[in-house]
Amino acid sequence: MTLFAVTRLELRRLFVRPLGWIIGALALAELGWRFALLLQIFLLNQVRLAALPDGPGYTDLVAVRVLSSFITGSPLPFGLIELALLLVPLLTMSTLASERSAGTLPLLFASGLSAARILLGKYLAVLIWLALWLALALAIPMSLAHGATLDWGKLVAATLGTFLALAVLGAIGVACSAFASHPAVAAVAALMVGLALTCINLGAQLAGVSNGFINWLAMNTHEETLLRGLVSSADIVWFLLAIAVALLLGIQRLAADRERG
Amino acid sequence: MSNGWGHPDNQAMNAPKPALPPVLQLEDVGRQRAGRPAVRDLSLRLEAGQVLGLLGVNGAGKSTTLAMIAGALRPDKGAIRLQGQDFLEHPELARLALGWLPEGAPLWPELTVREHLDAHGQLRGLRGADLNRLRDAVLERLELKDLARRLAGVLSQGQRQRLGLACALLHRPALLVLDEPANALDPIQVVALRGLLRELAAGGTAVILSTHQLAEVTAVCDRVAILHEGTLRYDAPLHADEHAALEKTFFDIAMAGRTQAA
Repeated sequence: MTLFAVTRLELRRLFVRPLGWIIGALALAELGWRFALLLQIFLLNQVRLAALPDGPGYTDLVAVRVLSSFITGSPLPFGLIELALLLVPLLTMSTLASERSAGTLPLLFASGLSAARILLGKYLAVLIWLALWLALALAIPMSLAHGATLDWGKLVAATLGTFLALAVLGAIGVACSAFASHPAVAAVAALMVGLALTCINLGAQLAGVSNGFINWLAMNTHEETLLRGLVSSADIVWFLLAIAVALLLGIQRLAADRERG
Repeated sequence: MSNGWGHPDNQAMNAPKPALPPVLQLEDVGRQRAGRPAVRDLSLRLEAGQVLGLLGVNGAGKSTTLAMIAGALRPDKGAIRLQGQDFLEHPELARLALGWLPEGAPLWPELTVREHLDAHGQLRGLRGADLNRLRDAVLERLELKDLARRLAGVLSQGQRQRLGLACALLHRPALLVLDEPANALDPIQVVALRGLLRELAAGGTAVILSTHQLAEVTAVCDRVAILHEGTLRYDAPLHADEHAALEKTFFDIAMAGRTQAA
């Protein structure tokens, strides 16, 4: 299938560029640091926590919190999702913007590929890279799985939530790359959209409002539920809708390239 | 050197293909760019085995025309037929029927020469042994075998041009669209390119090439079309001894346009 040919091509481009490796390595180093701090806090409080009925364990206080800072509430280094807000735009910025600036985008059109196949093929490559990144990040807390009691259900829900959040950020990044004529512009645009999607309900939360459209619109609302171990179809639908909207906008822009030249 | 890039053991690449005339047909094709008409009511017909030279001054609409033929740009009006089928309705026809070398031979700098050919083959649906065979044949034919592991980003412009040509030729298309193919090639490579184009035409491939070089056209083309300000001003068969006549026709059209503009 030609869609997978685009995916293979994009994966090759992602893996030979040093930026992808640097982003991955720095992020994992930072997550390792966060993990060490979380583990230290957990060990300091372990005796007290053990005395609590249904008290939080290793999964709640370390494993899930490596993935996101949303529910940490302490001044620790970023979790995976917060890092992704900053780093995914750097990863996705070149997917289409650099094709446009290098003049290789017309080559893809001239191979008989539709705009949808080109964009979805590239998005799939980004998703594979992000899934690999998530797997490596998860390996950090999982390294102690043999000596700790893990709440597998909660961890799976949190992993699903994190993957969906990464998928949304990846879709926004690819869509911004489809709109931009230069990779740097695509990165800045994706960063701003990602931040807006995360912080849009900040005012409402400060005012003590925890429902309504503005809260529904924010990614945090849906992410937090999954990080707490609750898988709700309404939250999954929100993520899928966000991905679909971003990809459809990107496809439309790419199709317009062929129309407008 | 046999004829440069041609090798006797690769002649199978030029096995005659069943004639499906016309390979390309343009009917009243028009396209605006930046608010002004770049191509106006262009009608052309290209049969299998024909080599058409597209001439014109800068901004005449040659590259826009070739981009539309290659499927990289949609015309605003008119119809394009590829092997008798509506190309605008079915852009996927380009996958196997068409090879395109855009001006400047754009490449992915992160990929090696071999990876480029693999990527182009896979984008066109080629896989496994077929892809390997075609890739090795074209690497040998274009004398790129020694460069197979080299990154495209470090190739010289002439090598880039040859790689771009190899990508366009890889899947043995029925129609080859070349925009300034002799750019950055040295004189020996130019002669080799001419030999290659003659061979392809003899094997039934239709070729349309745009160039600024009148000598290039008279050397390989059996038909010439002259575009001026987006309009087809001349379209006629060409014989090898007609260089002077072609030169006169070209300058008459180009200078008449400038006089009118003044």
